[in-house]
Formats: sequence, structure tokens, C-alpha cells
Amino acid sequence: MRKYFFAFRKEWLLLIRDKAGLALLFIMPMALIIISSLMQEYGWSSVTKELSVDILFVDNDKDSLGVQIRKGLLKSESFIVTDSLNHKPLTESVARGAVKKGDYLVAIVIPEGATKALQENVRFMVAKTLSGFGMYKQSMLDNLKLKDSVNIAIYFDPTIKKVFQTALIGAIKAVNYKTESELVFRSFNQEIALQMPFYKPSEVVYQEAIQFKEYFPSFREKDKIPNSVQHNVPAWTIFAMFFIVIPLTQSLIKEREEGSLFRLMTLPVKYMTLLMAKVGVYLIVCVVQTILMLLAGIFLIPLFGLPMLDLGNEYLALSIMTVIVAMASVGFGLMIGTIAKTHQQAAAFGSISIIILAAMGGLFVPLYLMPPIMRHFSEFSPMNWAMTGYYTIFLRGGSILHILPEVFRLFLFFLGTVIITALYRRFKRPMNP
Amino acid sequence: MADQPIIEIRNLSKTYKRAHEPAIKSVSLDICPNEIFGLLGPNGAGKTTTISILCGLFSPSQGDVFIDGLNIHTDLDQIKQIVGVVPQDIALYPTLTARENLTFFGNMYGLSGKELKNRIMEYMGIFGLEKYANRIVSNFSGGMKRRVNLIAGLLHNPKIIFLDEPTVGIDVQSRIVILDYLKEINKQGTTIIYTSHYMEEAEHLCSRVAIMDRGTIISMGEPRELVAQRPEFKNLENIFIHLTGKDLRD
Repeated sequence: MRKYFFAFRKEWLLLIRDKAGLALLFIMPMALIIISSLMQEYGWSSVTKELSVDILFVDNDKDSLGVQIRKGLLKSESFIVTDSLNHKPLTESVARGAVKKGDYLVAIVIPEGATKALQENVRFMVAKTLSGFGMYKQSMLDNLKLKDSVNIAIYFDPTIKKVFQTALIGAIKAVNYKTESELVFRSFNQEIALQMPFYKPSEVVYQEAIQFKEYFPSFREKDKIPNSVQHNVPAWTIFAMFFIVIPLTQSLIKEREEGSLFRLMTLPVKYMTLLMAKVGVYLIVCVVQTILMLLAGIFLIPLFGLPMLDLGNEYLALSIMTVIVAMASVGFGLMIGTIAKTHQQAAAFGSISIIILAAMGGLFVPLYLMPPIMRHFSEFSPMNWAMTGYYTIFLRGGSILHILPEVFRLFLFFLGTVIITALYRRFKRPMNP
Repeated sequence: MADQPIIEIRNLSKTYKRAHEPAIKSVSLDICPNEIFGLLGPNGAGKTTTISILCGLFSPSQGDVFIDGLNIHTDLDQIKQIVGVVPQDIALYPTLTARENLTFFGNMYGLSGKELKNRIMEYMGIFGLEKYANRIVSNFSGGMKRRVNLIAGLLHNPKIIFLDEPTVGIDVQSRIVILDYLKEINKQGTTIIYTSHYMEEAEHLCSRVAIMDRGTIISMGEPRELVAQRPEFKNLENIFIHLTGKDLRD
């Protein structure tokens, strides 16, 4: 045990003297969390709550349809509506030019007379309907004509995603239908009042009969709405934990290349003791990394205007999950550090394999956005198991019982890497323990 | 040579995986207690492989080794307690201080507390490093690193010490300090097995030498005896070149 302690102390001193390594382990992942959360907040919002897209809005109609669409866009809280540039009211050509240059993603142009055209069409349809009751003379009906459809022009930046186009058109259509419904209702009211003097029209506020409420079922009573922070903090924490592979493999290979391993192997101490001292130090690093990342999610990230990380209430499950992910990542590092022959091999294979496992595991892009074949592959990524475990704790309020399958898989992964490491060592150095 | 050998090597061979030729072939030799035994040879002669097997780093493909009566196949843990190894490379942690390095290695040899502290300071004093105990090793000169490297193998006062080119690439002053100390501990009873490319150094230091080439021992004896047997050669270096040839080695 004393030998283990001094081997641990040596590893600890080596680690804390490596300032660049420490920066890689602690500062870089924190920067990644903040940058990715800020970047992905946009994308995550699109599937969870709001988009905040700046839209150029040209209202040549200057009547109720234009006003209603503008109101509707603002009300949805998904769009920022801009109707002037450089203190000048927008024109269609200016708006189109701004989108063309890539300064704005979208411009909407409501044509002149759009409301009038809509009103006339509604009036025509109402009159046609009511004529069945003999309310209209034929001469009156002859004066009413169905106008051609009014075109609302929407200019999109070519880089814009299809999903966003659909969302925006859907939002405009919704406002349009509502406006049209209101007009139909009012028109009926007015026409009946005109034709039937005894009818007293009343002001009725139009209200949608069906509304939508979103729920995110979880093991907790309180819903936790997924957001970029709830995804990014665990995702980049897992990524950072697995990135321990780089300093760990460098430490193993450095010992080998600088000749220290030669001396270590001749010492009267089991090599496994020395290896476990390394594991101990790097496990602590992983746990400290995680604590710092979670604290950043709670205290630092809200300073950038992002939602605060909600840890849930299952702290024991969170601790177990963190330790088991740390074990899996350190085991992976040991395996690569033992098998790789050079720094270059370890760095290249280590970092590329982490990126592949992270991509497969849904750390960069959520799994549901992946094609089915990739979702199938993700089942083989330890980072996916880790991510699922953290999601279960953070978003679904899951307890130890709920994360057991992931804990078991990650433990098996750790065990597998340690066995491969030991076998490889035994195969390469048959005399040494 | 009348003593019971402290190291007995019998028919030792080692062939590395995927190697066409064995690194050492049927090497047999006895080394007596209190000897300074020099293993000499050009690059690729098999010196480091022999020492690596004696230290327990590699298993031999064939043959037996007994160190102080202990079998290398079965008693490796005990052997490791009585031998000290000074590798050719500076096997130290560059970002640790000299004291931190030596504290780690000393603890691995089972030393601890005041005893270890005193030994570290004693050796640092002997090798003129007492002022540098708390300095980071990476800032040391080549000679200083070599001296700390040597101390790391001597801390536990081993019965047998293996030195793989301990004076390579260092200044004359450091070399003199190292060689003088090796002679000193040898007088006190430590057996030294030493490899070097410096023939003159070996001639003066070693009680016996074995010249190896292409994995076999091609000549063995006391340096003076070897020179006397071949009067046409003035010194050990000339005999060495005669035996191993002038061809460049990889």
C-alpha cells in the first residue's frame, strides 16, 4: 500500500507540473461546454421551444393582414421582426438584397392590397353561401368576383435548413388562417346584419378551440424541458472525461520512450501497482473535471444568457454514473497507451477514436436526428451509454435503478479494457507481472 | 575466480519476435562476487539484451540464469531486491525534482522515512548535487542527470549493480566522479556488471571483460591478460577492433 501511495504521489506530481496538460483537461472542456451550448441553443430551441431568428418584414399592405402576420410572428416569440434598416423603412428590393448578401436569413414581403383581396374573396364566398337563403339579388352577386390569390413573397438565404423554412411557412400560414377565419366570421356577421334588419350583430372574440400543451414525461413530478445546456454539459463532460486518453497515453508512452519504464520494470514492485496508481490519479481528475463542468453548468453558463443546468435530485445516481464513466475512460486510455507504440499513434488513434465514439454516441448530434443505421451503431459506443445515463438522471429524474443497465455496460467496458491491457502486457513482457 | 559465482549464465539465448537472427546465442558465463565485469561490444552485439534478461525485463528464449543462487524464472521478485539497475537512458522523471525522483525510486525499493532521506542526501553529497536536490531534473546538465540516474540505482545499496553505459555523453569531471565511486562501492563488496563503448575506461575499471559480437562472447578474460596474449595489439581497443572488425554497425 505504501508503494501504491508513493507511486500515486509521483503520478500526481507529474500531472500538476504539466500545465499544458492541465489546461487541456480542465479549461478546454469548459470552453467547449460554453461555446457549444451557445451555438447549439439555436438548434435545440428549434425542437424544444423557441427560435430567435431575425426576419426582415416589408409590409406594403399596411392593413389588417400585414398587421396580423407581424403580430403573429412576434407573438410566437420565435422571430425577431425587423421592418427598417439604417433608420429607413424597408422596401422589397432592400430586403431581398440583404438576404442575398447573407446579412439576413429571411425576408417576408406582404404585397399591397393583400388585406383588400382577402376581404373581397371572403365576402364573395360568404355571399355565395348566403345566396342559398335568397338573401342576395343576382345583380349584387354579379358585382362580386373571386380575386386571384395574393402572393406573400418569402426570400430565404440559400444556406437555410429545410426544417426552418417549413417552420416559418407554417407559422405564416397559421396566422393567415386565423386572420381569414376571423374575416369570414366578421363578414358573415356583417352580411347577415345587412340582409336581416332584426339581427343585432355582437362583437365576439375569436378564439381557437384547440390548443397544444407540451409535456416531457419523467420520473419526477416536475417536467424538465430539454435544452442545449441539459444536453451539452453532460455531453462535453463525457467527451472531456474520455479525452483523458490523450494525457494518460502520453504519460504511458513517455515513460516507455524516456526509458523510465525500463527502470520501473526492474523495481521490486508489481507493474499493476504502478498502473493502478496512474488509474487512481486519472480517476480523480475525471471526477474533478465532472464536478467543475457541472458547476460551470449551474453558475457560469447562465452568465451567458443560457438556461441553468438542472442536476435533478438523484445525486447518488449522478455520483455513481460519474465514477463509472471515469473508469471507462481511464480504462480506454490504459488500453490505447499500452497498445500504441508511439506518441503519434496514441494521439492520432486516441483523439480520432474519441471523436468517432462521441459522434456515434450522440454527443454532437442527438440520436433521433441520425439515420436508423447510425442509431444502431450508437448502441456500441460507451459514450452513448454514458449520455443515456446522464439523460436519465438529468431529464427523466431517474434513480440508480434506472441507470443500472448503463452502469453495467460501462463497467463491462472498463473490465474489458483492463483485461486487454493486462493480456497485451503479459504477451509482450512474459516475465514481468 | 575461486569464489562461488554470484551470477551464473548457462546457455542463454534470446530471439525477439519477428527477428530473423537471435540477439544472443548460447551465452554462458560466470561472474564472481566483487567483480567489475565489463560487457563490451559494438552496437547490436547483445550487451543490452543480456543485461535486460539479467534484470528480469525479458524472458530468455532458452537457458538459465542464477543470481546469488536465485533462479531468474522463479525468484524474480527476490532478485529485484538485491540488484540495482542504471539504464543507458536517463530513466528519471524530468518534471520532478532530484529529491522527488529519488524518493519515489527509494520507496519502490522498500526504503522509507529518515533512512531514505539520509541516503538521498548522502548520495547527493557524494555526487556533488546537494545544492540541486530540490531542482527540476529537466534543468540539469547531462552530467548531473547521469549522476542522479546512477544514484537511483544505488539508493538501496544493492549487492549487484547493472550499469548500461553509465558514462555515455558526459563531461570528464562527471565521468571521474562516477568511476571513482563505482570503484569505491566495489571495494565495499558490490558486484558491478557494466557495458560500455569506451575501451580505455573498461580496461582501467574492469577486473574482467567479455567481448561480445553478433550475440556471442568472442573473447573473455582480464583486460591485462587479453592484451598480454596478443602482444601485436597495444591495448584493449585494438584487440576489440581486431575481433569485431571495422565495419559500421546499425
